[in-house]
Amino acid sequence: MSSDTAMPLDEFINQLESLAAEAEQTFQAAVDAEKLETARVEFLGARQGRLKSVQKSLGRIDKSDKPVAGKKLNEVKNRIQSSFEASQANLSSGQAERIRDPLVDPSLPGQRPRIGRLHPITQTIEELKDIMGRLGFTPAEGPEVEDPWHNFEALNIPEIHPARDPLDNFYLSLASKQAGLDSQLLLRSQTSTVQIRVMENTPPPVRIISLGRVYRPDTADATHYPMFHQMEGLLIDTEVSLADLKTVLHLFATNYLGEDVPVRIRPSFFPFTEPSVEADYYWNGKWVEFGGAGIVDPNVLKSVGYDPDAVSGFAFGLGVERLCMVRHKITDIRDLFTNEVRFLRQF
Amino acid sequence: MLVSRDWLKEYVALPDHDELVDRLTMSGLNHEGSEMVGDDQQIDLEVTSNRSDCLGHIGVAREVAVLFENPLKIPDPQPATEGSDISQVFDVQIDCPALCYRFTARLIRGVKVGPSPDWLVERLQTVGIASVNNVVDLSNYVMLECGQPLHTFDYDQLNGNKIVVREPAEKESLVAIDHNTYALQPGMCVIADGERAVGLGGVMGGTETEVTDSTCNILVEAAFFNPMCIRATARKLKLHSPASYRFERSINSENIDWASRRCCEMIMQLAGGQLAEGMIDVGQAPATRPPIDFRFHQLQRILGIAIPRETAVSILENLGFGVAPGTQDPQDSLSVSPPAWRLDVNREIDLIEEVGRIYGYDKVPDDVAVPMAASVRSHEDRVMQKIRHAITAAGFDEAMTASLVPEAWSDCFTAWSNHPPLQSHQAMLGVLDTSWQNMPVNLLRRSLLPSLLEAFRINEYKQNDQVELFETARVYLANAAGLPTEPIKLGLVSERSYGEIKGVVEAVVGMLNTEVVVETDDCDLELLDITHASELLIDGQRLGWVGKISPATQELFRLKRDATVAELDVGLLNQIATRVTLHGQISPFPALTRDFNFIVDEAVRWGDLAKSVREASPDLLESVRYKETFRNAAKDGADKKRVLLSVVLRSADATLTGEQAELACQAIVSRCKDQQGADLLG
Repeated sequence: MSSDTAMPLDEFINQLESLAAEAEQTFQAAVDAEKLETARVEFLGARQGRLKSVQKSLGRIDKSDKPVAGKKLNEVKNRIQSSFEASQANLSSGQAERIRDPLVDPSLPGQRPRIGRLHPITQTIEELKDIMGRLGFTPAEGPEVEDPWHNFEALNIPEIHPARDPLDNFYLSLASKQAGLDSQLLLRSQTSTVQIRVMENTPPPVRIISLGRVYRPDTADATHYPMFHQMEGLLIDTEVSLADLKTVLHLFATNYLGEDVPVRIRPSFFPFTEPSVEADYYWNGKWVEFGGAGIVDPNVLKSVGYDPDAVSGFAFGLGVERLCMVRHKITDIRDLFTNEVRFLRQF
Repeated sequence: MLVSRDWLKEYVALPDHDELVDRLTMSGLNHEGSEMVGDDQQIDLEVTSNRSDCLGHIGVAREVAVLFENPLKIPDPQPATEGSDISQVFDVQIDCPALCYRFTARLIRGVKVGPSPDWLVERLQTVGIASVNNVVDLSNYVMLECGQPLHTFDYDQLNGNKIVVREPAEKESLVAIDHNTYALQPGMCVIADGERAVGLGGVMGGTETEVTDSTCNILVEAAFFNPMCIRATARKLKLHSPASYRFERSINSENIDWASRRCCEMIMQLAGGQLAEGMIDVGQAPATRPPIDFRFHQLQRILGIAIPRETAVSILENLGFGVAPGTQDPQDSLSVSPPAWRLDVNREIDLIEEVGRIYGYDKVPDDVAVPMAASVRSHEDRVMQKIRHAITAAGFDEAMTASLVPEAWSDCFTAWSNHPPLQSHQAMLGVLDTSWQNMPVNLLRRSLLPSLLEAFRINEYKQNDQVELFETARVYLANAAGLPTEPIKLGLVSERSYGEIKGVVEAVVGMLNTEVVVETDDCDLELLDITHASELLIDGQRLGWVGKISPATQELFRLKRDATVAELDVGLLNQIATRVTLHGQISPFPALTRDFNFIVDEAVRWGDLAKSVREASPDLLESVRYKETFRNAAKDGADKKRVLLSVVLRSADATLTGEQAELACQAIVSRCKDQQGADLLG
């Protein structure tokens, strides 16, 4: 048929009808999106689609029949379109048959981005800071290399005290022969040094924790390492008593362990606190040592220019490594500082 | 302190074991364990270094008596004397009064040395002391009873009828009763007779004058030595004895005479003999201490509990304190005299502790209202957390390494400071793998990188893969005087390439501040490869370095794999980190992407070229991205390279017109031509 040959209306309508029937059948038979798309292109394709080619015949219809033919064309177009949409809806709602491709193994490992881990000590410190932050204690920092005033003298540890023995401390000097450097410098043996520095520069009230590395000569074994971390808390105000200390320790233990645990304090001895106590919490059927604590010694308050009759305070300190090891059931402290990635990646 | 239950019973009635150790723990003598020894029970109590009064059974019994309000029975030795006064036949002189405060001696003639009776052997056995003979055992017994160490000499082995307490002569040595020979040093306290050293005061006696089965006359020494001297001596000689343990913590000088009498009386009971009249007593008499003003209201202020006045007074009196009305405010205060055995109690605060610990810390509440307070998180803390988030997201595990390093590590990276490192007088032992064992670990590190490379090596040795480590820690940069500077650094070590690690650094910086650009400069540092390494700068300030390690470094740390390291100054990161990000309007208009293929000299660096691009059209340029570098010597000539880059242009106010984009591109091309000699290809 050439394009200029006239076409009877009936024939045009018949063509449309059979096209519609065929399209409906084909759309219904399409089992997946790909087959449906092929069918869509076949029937509804904008350039080569079969509806398009029937549509082209419209020009050959007698002018008087055109309104009828046009109306029919529209009807059929809508029918085919809705048939397609119905099949498409069926497919996407899963009503059509779905075949799983046997060549795909979805259990193959995912392409996992490597995400590093924070050191368990850092994780412990962050948790401690978090808990103490909620209790109103602000972290404070101070130098690790200290002078005897801050490490000993101001903490009520006089020259004759055994804690100042050169064998028990890392005393420092400049490696070169250069003179003029104070050879009394040492690596701090406790973070209480920070308390002194803060109190020297801050009028009361003071409510801080100090966290960081401390150093004591010790042969490394499963429970000792010459470098470790301490957390110390300090609260100074006009009326601070042992009851405040016990309350804060109780809140801390409850927070850290996640449930209400009994806390007890018993007498001990430290130069910078008086009374000094050892604090324990009751956990898993026994008393576990928590750390040392006490009421800040009047001599310490005096050494930073506070009046012991006007202010009082408590201090407590604990070893971060021990808390970390108890919590994660780490049995050898040296593992914390060997930095094997197989160890680090567990946390 | 090991305590025998049977022995303790002699001085005070005891409650059952669990109640006993529980109360003792809660009042300051922490119970460490108990075990049966024969029919007796050994109780191990921890005595803190201030409580020398509890280094004898009587001291522990006194605590028990106060806690349970049972009477305390202390023997009153009154040994009979006969024969000439000791001072007529013997002489003691102290030449070193700073080391030996007081020295007393008694003489017993005609003893019969022999085995100890069973009860004595068993008592000592319970507390872990082996029996020697009746005389030696009794001197130990009395020490363990009252805390005062005693020494017994074979009187007839002492030459010159005298004892001289002095510092050692040059090259003097002593064979102690443990049969070891000790070289004596200045500052030690020697007990000598007229000719030679016969004992190391307060530490151990000499073998030549020890009491043996053939001894018949005995000199009983009870003395008081300088605690510091005893501690130093025991430590230097590695010779720790029950006597040195007690002298180190100081003894009660007022008890010396009692201990001496008690020892003599018991020796005469078990070994016979006659005690000579008198006692030689040289040196300082016991010092008296002034009474302490004690204000009742301080009890509540410090302990947080109300303790009735009568209770406080009775606790102090039971503990042996003298209590009199206060001089200042009789309503509120007392004048309290500490007993001689309580060397640790000298201040009001010490008395508060005494009342509190006996009254019971279990009565201190743990639910009082502590005032609320706001805590502040510092900028530095927040920055550190962001750094950690970024760096772990980039695949790095956090390492923690020691602050002290050996010399070879200390010297291999000194870029932060070429000031010599601080050196510790003591090495940090046992920190390192055996392969570095010959080097003392005694220098404070000036960089984290050597320690991280060692950690890298250990992982390589253990065949761990994907070793990506970071650490944030201080380094220690000495100053001409005073404390060193301790800046915090971020160190990285990785198996990845220079470019990848530089990218990680840029990402970390980008987390802290989206605006700043990390610039590079060439560097020549031994630790790093000469080509794949850069100094990093932000606005001309040194951020740090990134680079592949040099072959020399690889050899020093015996690494098989290539490693890239970076070290950044966290101080500068704190400085550049945005505190609060302010929202900037995002342009709703479309972007245009344009690629440029420039031919430039080899010497032209990307950083400079990108800077020219950025500056050419600052208003419209959204980003400039490096794509590739090609070389085509045949077409472009030698020493030329083609750098392909891509820019994104966007306007904040309107959709870019073709004309605007064209102008911007022309500006880029001409600026790159002018500043970098870049020719646009094609």
